[in-house]
Amino acid sequence: MFAVFGVAILVLLGVLVGTAAGIVVVRVGRRVRAKRRASLAAGPRRALLAFVAENGEEGSEGLIAIPDDAWRAALPAALGLLGKLRGDAHAALVSVFLHRGAARAALGELHARSAVRRARAAQLLGDLELREAVPGLCELLTDRDHEVRVVAVRALGRIGEPRAAWRMIASLDLRDPVPSLLATHALVQMGRGAEVTLSAALDHPHARVRAVCLDALGLLGATGAVGRMARVLAEDDVLDVRVAAATNLGRLGARGALQPLIDVLDPPHPDLLRAAAARALGALGAPAAVPPLAAHLDDGEFQIAHEAAHSLRRLGPPGVAALRDRDNDHCREALALLHPDLVGAQ
Amino acid sequence: MREVVLGVLRGADYAVFGYFVALNSSYLIMIVLASVEFAKHLRRAPFAGADDMFRSPLTLPVTVIVPAYNEGAGIVPAVQAMTALRYPRFEIVVVDDGSTDDTFEKLRAHFDLVEVPRVVPAEVPYQSHVLSVHVPRGDQGALTVVRKTNGGKADALNVGINLARHPLVCMVDADSVLDPDALLSVAKPFGDDPLRVAACGGVVRIANGCKVVAGRVVDVRMPGSWLVRIQVVEYLRAFLMSRTGWSRLGGVVVISGAFGVFRRDLLVQIGGMAHDTIGEDAELVVRLHHYLRDRGDDYRVIFVAEPVSWSEAPSNWKVLGYQRRRWHRGIAEILTKHRHMVFNPRYGRIGLVALPYYLIFELLAPFVELAALVLLPLGLWADAIDIGFAWRFALVAYGYGLLVSLVALFIEEVSFHRYPRWSDMLRGVVAAVFENFGYRQLLALWQVWGAFSAWHGRPAVWGTMDRTGFDTHEPTEVETVGIKGG
Repeated sequence: MFAVFGVAILVLLGVLVGTAAGIVVVRVGRRVRAKRRASLAAGPRRALLAFVAENGEEGSEGLIAIPDDAWRAALPAALGLLGKLRGDAHAALVSVFLHRGAARAALGELHARSAVRRARAAQLLGDLELREAVPGLCELLTDRDHEVRVVAVRALGRIGEPRAAWRMIASLDLRDPVPSLLATHALVQMGRGAEVTLSAALDHPHARVRAVCLDALGLLGATGAVGRMARVLAEDDVLDVRVAAATNLGRLGARGALQPLIDVLDPPHPDLLRAAAARALGALGAPAAVPPLAAHLDDGEFQIAHEAAHSLRRLGPPGVAALRDRDNDHCREALALLHPDLVGAQ
Repeated sequence: MREVVLGVLRGADYAVFGYFVALNSSYLIMIVLASVEFAKHLRRAPFAGADDMFRSPLTLPVTVIVPAYNEGAGIVPAVQAMTALRYPRFEIVVVDDGSTDDTFEKLRAHFDLVEVPRVVPAEVPYQSHVLSVHVPRGDQGALTVVRKTNGGKADALNVGINLARHPLVCMVDADSVLDPDALLSVAKPFGDDPLRVAACGGVVRIANGCKVVAGRVVDVRMPGSWLVRIQVVEYLRAFLMSRTGWSRLGGVVVISGAFGVFRRDLLVQIGGMAHDTIGEDAELVVRLHHYLRDRGDDYRVIFVAEPVSWSEAPSNWKVLGYQRRRWHRGIAEILTKHRHMVFNPRYGRIGLVALPYYLIFELLAPFVELAALVLLPLGLWADAIDIGFAWRFALVAYGYGLLVSLVALFIEEVSFHRYPRWSDMLRGVVAAVFENFGYRQLLALWQVWGAFSAWHGRPAVWGTMDRTGFDTHEPTEVETVGIKGG
């Protein structure tokens, strides 16, 4: 037994010393690398900043001529700028990347074995807003790695090519789909060109797809889709989808949304939907919504009365008058938010 | 007869030794799992999409709930710093839990608060009485301060949950200092995997000794006191590494009350924080698992290692004693309350791995540690073991513990490198050695005391945290911090 303990003590001692030495080695190595990288990146970083300051009009040849090792050291800064810049400066920096062969390399990397390399390539292609990369990025929407799929969605959003909308929608119907909010944002970034596809997808059998398309249509301000969205609000089998329809009809602010929203304010419609409709009527901004909302100020369901009061506040003078006519806690809360200074003075 | 007694003593000593080896091996496994997770996190940081999330109009808004009881000394800078967090849309709800100091007066004076009528729903139960609700003059929605009668932290959080208007709820201690991107990081999993992520915890690190400027930790340093330095190493090993490891295994059962984000709808469904336990943060997570497993949901409770919430650790033995008794009492209460989940295959990894681990290696560890302190000398006195065995036993048991701490420091060095000074790292290594002489043993004593308090139903005592404050650098000019969110 003593022998076993002796060996254990020796092994422990060895590992302890090794770990302590490892800490020192890692620390020294990091400092040396950081110093070398800082020295290599200093020149390119200055050139990059000057280039951006000139809005990309001068200095591109200098950036293209930077040696590869120095460019690699400055790459995080360059990529950071690429993600933040817009307009001419962005286009000029993209052109520098293209001349350095970054796009070609990234397109090749989309098929790399490593998920990290695929994701990095997708991120770069998105930052470059390279339309030629759309087919390759669409393939990544079904990648085996979840994070690669997420990066592909964001990259397609940045590129904003509406032709990718259908592939994006299809990727929502997988067993491990891309996140709804990311997909919605990307679809919105694709702009009005995606409206027809989104509107058609409101008949998709998958509830999640319908909900995403409703959100995207609402954010795009697709007033042409009001009729289809109203039909989803009235007829869909899934409550969450109907709630999304109510919210986005309110967001659209179109006259045609008024009656469908009023129609779902009362039982037997579910409380969640009724509350969403009450909120949406406030967002819609139509004075005609005042009487139906005022009728729900004493609703037995807290959320419905609460949303009705706050929607009336948002509807301006006619809504405020309705709040003043009724004396309950929800009305007092909503009215107080209009004049917090007055409440304080009291 | 004597031979039997000696045999039992010898057997007990070997069993204790085996327990120590198993305990430290489990820590080591968690650290290895954590290192895999850190490597993944760091390699993927460039394309994690934090900036996209910040810019997206669809990022889920968050309500930050700050329960405050007698926090007058630091409440204003704390709330100021929270208002400056980098997040597209959030509100802060400060719940003044019947403070007897000037907590509310300071808030009212600084943020120019005015009282507003507000209907407080009772979606989750609370036992106290809401006295008034206040918002800054002319700035609705970004900050809400609620005054209520004293009802404890859990009760204050429940009032905050009721008043929360956003789908995600972040619970933060009033004395915490958050990194600027902390909220973005801890809420990001909800955007990446919205259907499954139910809760996400963030790491809490020790702020003692760090330089804090305008509510931000700008210079990370080891604290001046050895007592706190030991806790720094302990936090690294037991919280950062262990919880990250559990996150990788899908077995997170503790999200610190000092920094965690939850889906509000789920909090409402499970009835919010429990009033009958002192470890309400961990109990909430266990109850969440219980509820979601019973419902058969596919869900995730996860832990992110960076960025962080910085918190002040006890700098004297008395306060540390209160804290550790409270923590262990919490573990005992939770495992007692949810005992039917332990070893129950219905609760998957939580029932079969995580909770049994907490029972065997968290709840029982101080009992075994104290037993070793008694059995080893007893075995020596009774000649059941000889002195050669005894010192080798102690050396291997404590040496293995030291190794685990050093590996944790090594992983910290490789991954986050938060302590850039050589002297700080050296102090960390020495603290890992010092931990074994007195600190662990005293801790075990307090923990056993805490567990017995739970089982005997003694009244829970929070104790008073003597705040020494952070090393702050006050700006020469008054900085105005705009309020975002809403």
